[in-house]
Parts: sequence; structure tokens; C-alpha cells
Amino acid sequence: MSRDGIRPDERLFPLLSEAGRAMLARLCEHPAAPIYRNRSGHRLVAEDIPLLRDFTAEVLAARLGWHNAPDWLADFVTDAYQRVPGYRARGPVPARFTDIPTISRADLSRNITRFVPDDLPLDRLIEYSTSATTGHPLKLPSHPRIAASYLAFHRRALAHFGIELKASKGDVSVVLAGFQRRCFTYVSVTPLLDEAGLAKINLHPADWHHPDDRARYLDALAPELITGDPLSLSELAQLPMQHIPRALLSTSMAMSDGMRAQLQARFGCPVLDIYSMNEAGPIAVYLPEAGGHLLLQNRLYVETLLPDGCPAAPGERGEITLSGGFNFYLPLLRYRTGDWAELAMTPQGPLLRDFHGRPPVRFQTLAGQWLNNVDVSHCLAPFALPQYTLHQHADLGLTLRLRSTEQATAAREALLKLFGTGLRIEVAPLEAQDKVIQYTSELAPPLA
Amino acid sequence: MTHAGPSLEILLRRLAETPQDFLDAPRTGKSGQLHVSALIFDLSHQIGQPFTEAELRTLSGTDANGMTLCAIACWLLSDDTLQGRISKPRLLPFLGQTLQALAAEYKAERYLLDPERREELVRITLADLGLLPAGETAAQAQDRLQALSSTERRRIIAAAREAEKRAREIREALIKKAAAEAADKYTRE
Repeated sequence: MSRDGIRPDERLFPLLSEAGRAMLARLCEHPAAPIYRNRSGHRLVAEDIPLLRDFTAEVLAARLGWHNAPDWLADFVTDAYQRVPGYRARGPVPARFTDIPTISRADLSRNITRFVPDDLPLDRLIEYSTSATTGHPLKLPSHPRIAASYLAFHRRALAHFGIELKASKGDVSVVLAGFQRRCFTYVSVTPLLDEAGLAKINLHPADWHHPDDRARYLDALAPELITGDPLSLSELAQLPMQHIPRALLSTSMAMSDGMRAQLQARFGCPVLDIYSMNEAGPIAVYLPEAGGHLLLQNRLYVETLLPDGCPAAPGERGEITLSGGFNFYLPLLRYRTGDWAELAMTPQGPLLRDFHGRPPVRFQTLAGQWLNNVDVSHCLAPFALPQYTLHQHADLGLTLRLRSTEQATAAREALLKLFGTGLRIEVAPLEAQDKVIQYTSELAPPLA
Repeated sequence: MTHAGPSLEILLRRLAETPQDFLDAPRTGKSGQLHVSALIFDLSHQIGQPFTEAELRTLSGTDANGMTLCAIACWLLSDDTLQGRISKPRLLPFLGQTLQALAAEYKAERYLLDPERREELVRITLADLGLLPAGETAAQAQDRLQALSSTERRRIIAAAREAEKRAREIREALIKKAAAEAADKYTRE
């Protein structure tokens, strides 16, 4: 039976068929299977399925873009002011959209119940907790149908790379790969894909009977997609697995051009860098030929705002601010994400250029010139660094922290070229377990 | 959403001048003369958003005093200054729950004869329609309505209680479902 790990709980799979049951058994009982630590499931019921199919069709067919604002926005605002206590308490809807106050993670963190519409039933509510790199841990309301809706946006992202999902009954659709000391792991099936398999695994050797089992298991599963973050995908690239997935999807941390190129060369498949957050789901996918992240959601309005609330001018970076979204338990109205980019309208749709997941940080060169952190990102982009941080000390000296020393010398050389030969640059190991604050400085506070 | 609405004075005068016919006994079964549901149906046509039969039925469960107040409201809402400013989603709960709550407080005639009750009825009507009396801010209108109306005060207290209860239920539901991963997603954030 199951290899030491926890068995799936069938109550989490209300529609489970014999084929689905067989898939769960195959994922758990393979001789090279990892020690699964947890349980989860899709929790979908029969009436969810047609709704999800319609939703997927709408997402795939939608044309994205707007002149001033999308058509649906005015009704969405009126509805939110009527049904959501936190917005209703402000009084009447301001006449102009730009006069609507913005909210931040701190507002959601203070009392999330104020942002849940009054009229929604709570019996199927689920919760996602988010990490606290910004100091505000969040518990977010969600619903099984919302979790299952992610797939529609991933399909839209894959379509930009000419990939249409094929996995069906008896296939493994996706392996979610983590690489952490402790990681939530489980097996599941996807009713929207005829109960194709889903396995969330941890590549850390402590979760396996033998480290070689990792490649054996992945080859046996032959998943259509592998998702992860730059850390776990870079670990994946080290494994001697033979199977080639149709695409790799990376979320949750910034991915450099060098890292993407290395993964593409190793696996010979597209590597999709997806900008995604628990508050709003998958927002955009990086398109190399467009030079930015292309928006994915047809009912998400994105603004880029300066710290004073004014919209960023064309060509200027601003804080990504969201309205709308598909989480009907959390309608967002001008939610400041803490992430920055330049918003541009392109023939393919709205595009986020020079995306960076934090407010800008300024660095000073030896000659006294100020640089934006985007310049540093560009400078280090050619190297396949899964994760790094750069800190500038009060005396201008820099500390570059890296996961491995492999490209340390080359990266240090590039920084010296950018900042000025003669600057003190120390390279140190990066030991964080998960997300990090990438750029920090003792010289100047961030712009926001 | 709250929009600027008509002048309070015009509507107060209209209410004071309600024709006696609207105070005739409402028709229920075989007794009474005034067909209140016909008045409601005409009003819904007048605003260009006719009620369905099912919607009309939801408004017919009230007592005689409530029906008379409903007839008075139909007269008030037919004023020229309100044309084009009434939407069905706001009108239905007004004719239903709000008028029922007002009818439970006083006899319908009192909302015509007593100046304070008259102002209460006009203000609560505008508030339910999402309109502000001309020349007033949202805060001024809300203050004045609360000062006048015990119905409005009760409504606010009940809403606050309801909001607390809802917040508690959401918190409980979130705690009950608390797990690192509550349902499958293809990527983590």
C-alpha cells in the first residue's frame, strides 16, 4: 500500500471514480514515491464542473485591454460598494474611479471579514495563509471553485506558447515541485481533466527513501507540466530525469533571463514565469518576445500608481494596483500589491514591463551616480542565479548573497563594472528557506 | 451608490396633498375598494421596469395598514421629480421590508398628517432609492434621518448586530478550514 506516507482522504474528492481512485493509488504506491506528509483534494462537486468549463472557455476566448477602463468596472464598483462591508462603510461611491481610496495588504490583514460580501454562503469557504515577507501575514477566504479556476489562467498562459493541455484519464497532469526543508505534500486528481493526476512533492532528499528515487518517480509519472519556483526548478535541473515535460511553470519568486535560459536548455521546453499572488491568483505571464509580463485575467483591471496616488506616466514604473479578480469571496478595489512595473498597452494586451516584486530601491555607484534596482536586475539577468539578494552598506560597499558559488565570480565582476572598479563587494551564502527581500540599502529608503 | 436627488420640500408637499382615494380600505379578498397591487404594477410600468408576478406576490403578504402605506408610497413615487431615478432592485425592498417596518410603528395616516412622520417617510424613501435630498451631503442626510426615525435607528442597530454576527461566522469558517493547502491549485504563490 502507501509507502509510509499519509493516505489520501476520499472525502476531499466528492466526484472520485474508479479511475481517479486508481490514479491516487498509483501516485502514492509507486516504489519510488516520496513520503507524502499531508492531505488535500479538489473538493469540487458536480454542479461546479459546468460552471468551471464555462469559466475556462470565457478566459481562453477573452480579448484583454482597455482605453480608460474596462466596461465591466463601473458595475463591479457599484456592486462592491453594496455587498462588501469594508467598502460600503465608506459611504457613497466617489464620482470618479480614481477618487476611490486604495487598500493595502495591511488593510486586509487588519480584518479580512470586512472584505467578504454579505450574501455569500460560508459552508464551502476555504482558507489560504500567505507568507509574510512584507510583515503582514494574511488569511484569505477562498472556495474550491476559485482554486480550480487557476487552471483556466494557466491554460491561457500556455496558449501564448502554443501549448494546449492534453493530459486526461490515466495521465499525470502536473507535478508541483517544492524544495524546502518542510513542505506541504499530497496527491490529487483534476476532475476538469478527466481525473488526470496531480502530485505536490518536495525535492528535498529528506522526503524520499533514496535521493535517486526523485528522478525515477518523475520519469514514471511523466507529468505534462511541472510547476515550482526558481529554487525548486533549479534543483529539478540537477536530477538525471529523462522525461521532458511540455512546459515548466515558475511562480512566487523572480526568475532571471539566465535562469530561464538554463532551464530551457536543460529541459528543451518553454519555461513560463508567472506573476501570481494569493490575493488575486495568476496575474500575468512573461513573454520573452514582448519583453514583459502579459496580463491573463479578463476581469482584472490593473493600474500603476505612484506613492502619492497619481497614475504613473507612460514609460514610468508604478505600484501595481488591482481591481476586480475572480475570487468572489474577496472582490478587490484598488488593491496596492507592493509590486512595481511599467504598464504598457500592446497589440497582445496590457503588458507589465520591468516587473519587480517590491518598491524600488536606489543604489549609489562609486562615482556618486544613483541607480535603480532594475539596473541591477538587468546586470545580473544573464547569470543563472536561482535567487540572490543585494545589500548596500552606508560606506557604499555591497554584499551579494547567492545560493551557490558557481557563478559568483562572474556576477561580482558584472557588479564591479556597473558600480565602479574598486568598490568593496563581498559575496556571501544565501541561506533563507523561501522568499527574500531582494534589494536593501542603508543609503536611501525605498521610494514607497 | 448615492446620487443627488430631488428637493425635500416638493416631496413633503406632495405627501401632504395625497388624494383621499389612496386612504380607502385596501382590497383583500372580497372586502375593501383600493387595489394596491394594481397601483404597484402601474408604478413599475411607469419606471420602465415592470415587476413580474412573482415579485408582486412577495409584496402582497402585508397587513391592511402596510397596504395603505404602500398605496401612499405609490402616490409619492409618481412625482415628476423622481422620474428616471428609481431602479427596480432598490424599489422592491423598499416597498417590502422598509414599508412593513414603518407600518409596524404608526398608522399609515400619521405619515401624512404628522410633519415629523411625513419627513421621516420622505427621507427613508430617498435613502432606500439611493438618493440624497437636493443640497444635502450624505452625512447630513443620514444624521437627519437617524434623528427623526426610530425605524432607521433600529435598522442601524440590527445591521450592526448582523455585521458582527457575519464577521464571527467568517472567522469561525476560516479557522475550521485552516490548513496549509485547502484545495488543489496548479501553482503556489
